[in-house]
Amino acid sequence: MANSNLPRRIIKETQRLLSEPAPGISASPSEENMRYFNVMILGPTQSPYEGGVFKLELFLPEEYPMAAPKVRFLTKIYHPNIDKLGRICLDILKDKWSPALQIRTVLLSIQALLSAPNPDDPLSENIAKHWKSNEAEAVETAKEWTRLYASGV
Amino acid sequence: MMSPRIDTRDLVAFLLKHLDLGKSKAKTDPYRRMLCALIVVSKDEKSLLQNYTVLTESDIRQHQEEDIVRISTVLSIPKVAASILLRYHNWSVSKVHDEWFADEGKVRRAVGLPEKPVVEYPYASELNCGICFETYPRDKMHAAACGHPFCSSCWAGYISTAINDGPGCLMLRCPDPSCSAVVFQDMINDLASYEEKEKYLRYFLRSYVEDNRKTKWCPAPGCDYAINFIVGGGSYDVTCHCSYSFCWNCTEEAHRPVDCGTVSKWIMKNSAESENMNWILANSKPCPKCKRPIEKNQGCMHITCTPPCKFEFCWLCLGAWSDHGERTGGFYACNRYETAKQEGVYDEAEKRREMAKNSLERYTHYYERWATNQSLEKLSDIQCQPESQLKFITEAWLQIVECRRVLKWTYAYGYYLPEHENAKRQFFEYLQGEAESGLERLHQCAEKELQVYLNDEDPSKDFNEFRTKLAGLTSVTRNYFENLVRALENGLSDVDSHGACSRTVSSKCLGGSSKGRGGRGKATTSRSSSSSRNIDDLGHWSCEHCTFANVKSASVCQMCQQRR
Repeated sequence: MANSNLPRRIIKETQRLLSEPAPGISASPSEENMRYFNVMILGPTQSPYEGGVFKLELFLPEEYPMAAPKVRFLTKIYHPNIDKLGRICLDILKDKWSPALQIRTVLLSIQALLSAPNPDDPLSENIAKHWKSNEAEAVETAKEWTRLYASGV
Repeated sequence: MMSPRIDTRDLVAFLLKHLDLGKSKAKTDPYRRMLCALIVVSKDEKSLLQNYTVLTESDIRQHQEEDIVRISTVLSIPKVAASILLRYHNWSVSKVHDEWFADEGKVRRAVGLPEKPVVEYPYASELNCGICFETYPRDKMHAAACGHPFCSSCWAGYISTAINDGPGCLMLRCPDPSCSAVVFQDMINDLASYEEKEKYLRYFLRSYVEDNRKTKWCPAPGCDYAINFIVGGGSYDVTCHCSYSFCWNCTEEAHRPVDCGTVSKWIMKNSAESENMNWILANSKPCPKCKRPIEKNQGCMHITCTPPCKFEFCWLCLGAWSDHGERTGGFYACNRYETAKQEGVYDEAEKRREMAKNSLERYTHYYERWATNQSLEKLSDIQCQPESQLKFITEAWLQIVECRRVLKWTYAYGYYLPEHENAKRQFFEYLQGEAESGLERLHQCAEKELQVYLNDEDPSKDFNEFRTKLAGLTSVTRNYFENLVRALENGLSDVDSHGACSRTVSSKCLGGSSKGRGGRGKATTSRSSSSSRNIDDLGHWSCEHCTFANVKSASVCQMCQQRR
């Protein structure tokens, strides 16, 4: 029902996501609600998340594309810009959103955030502190969490 | 070069003295006409000396337009671009000039004003919209100066979202994430709905006031005026056309003689303890005689309980009004707060309890008086209905409002005056007491005595006398309060410099001089080690530590408890 008057843009985006997926990213709409996407992002190589498979959910609100999609990590992750509920601190999801951005660009940005954590703009204070005081140890914890929670089983 | 000038206020006083309105045929009296002319002159003088201007909405729009036109002409850029530039530089024309002529390219990049499109599609007849992904004929597409094309409905949605998001829409950028070109106002005019355009213009106007360092909105509720302030020199007190006076620096209500820091401390303190205070003060006081609750809803501090009681008392101290006179040594002495409770020997615990109580009492004392003046100030506001031919009444009421405000803040001043500075405190309380009684006189005259004439049908002859009296009281009170504010703002420095002669000061004070600047009295005696010089004709002895005049029989100072 909600799917019956889906904007053309969402349909086109969905089609393109399925036909030409971005490397290391998959996004498929839910059967019941075409605005709800199940997302998987592979941990980027040479990052503490390498080898992990991270599940996310993405929802396109009614105002999309004038308003940003809502994205959240479902897999536990040790990252200074992601809190324990999986919420992500990323400018394009907030004030830097532009309707010319897309689901694909958002997910690519999240993938990039995994490669380059930014402890100066933290969402999770403790993790950011850890990152700044002892980066090597924090990276170890992130690897550990990746093994524990994102091993893709 | 300064030419010698006569203070217009002195002239007014002189004229008032010579004005025998009771006998003269009103309008033809030359003194009277001079007086009227002078009042006009002194008002103009006041506006010339003002270091601020009040701006109406149309003034603001006009100033904004003038600035935009100036930048547009000097920089040879369209007006829409000029307004973006000004907005980016907080509406400072000189800053725009400086930055632009220092490095135009840098400014263009920072603000988002590309000189030519970054993308061009010279041969395409159809273009793809980057938002809805639909294809449209070229003429249905719009772009900012950068050239990134989007269809009109996506633009409309984009603009509408931004406008409803807040004042950030004034610096709206091209939707392309990699592009920082700004969206001009003409595009918004073309694509936004009527309501959205109104909203945008509102933000645009507000920006000119709020982002500008030299202007602020009048903080009075419902007031649409703004104040343009020339920083440097003069006081921060400004009075809006709506008659609200506020401090330009902290935007709290005008609070001379107290500084902004004290005001914020005081407000913080009151909000923290307001529940207690509200409970204590809860709008009414019982009549000290018959105990019936009385709500004060008008006028001065002189309260007469309703019949049959008819007890006359002072609203502030709840003492009998008959005690408030010169006979008792201090007119309106109810402003005094005696911190010293001399009699009895206290043990340590009792002393501590007493001190705690004292501190609360002290605060209650000052807060209560502050709050009373606050409510009177409001009351007077309501009463102040301008009637063109009765200007002197309006002036009197405006003066009362202003004095109430000053008096109110002197209580905050008193609260923060260090307790150990006894000489200052005494001098301060004297000045305050004088101010209070002067103001009460004026208030009484403006309210009670005026009532007689308001109820009277035919024009009374003594109305002219009343006019003279009220105008005189207004000017005397104004002078007194101006001096008071100056003295308090100087931190009562007279007391410091004339510390040695403070005995002279306080005896003068008790003598009931109405000049108030007793501290200026010439130092005729310097402090002498001989104690006999500290004893005056009545046998009072003056405390060496705090200058308090004690009765002959006391061996310990009643003010500071130091031995004689």
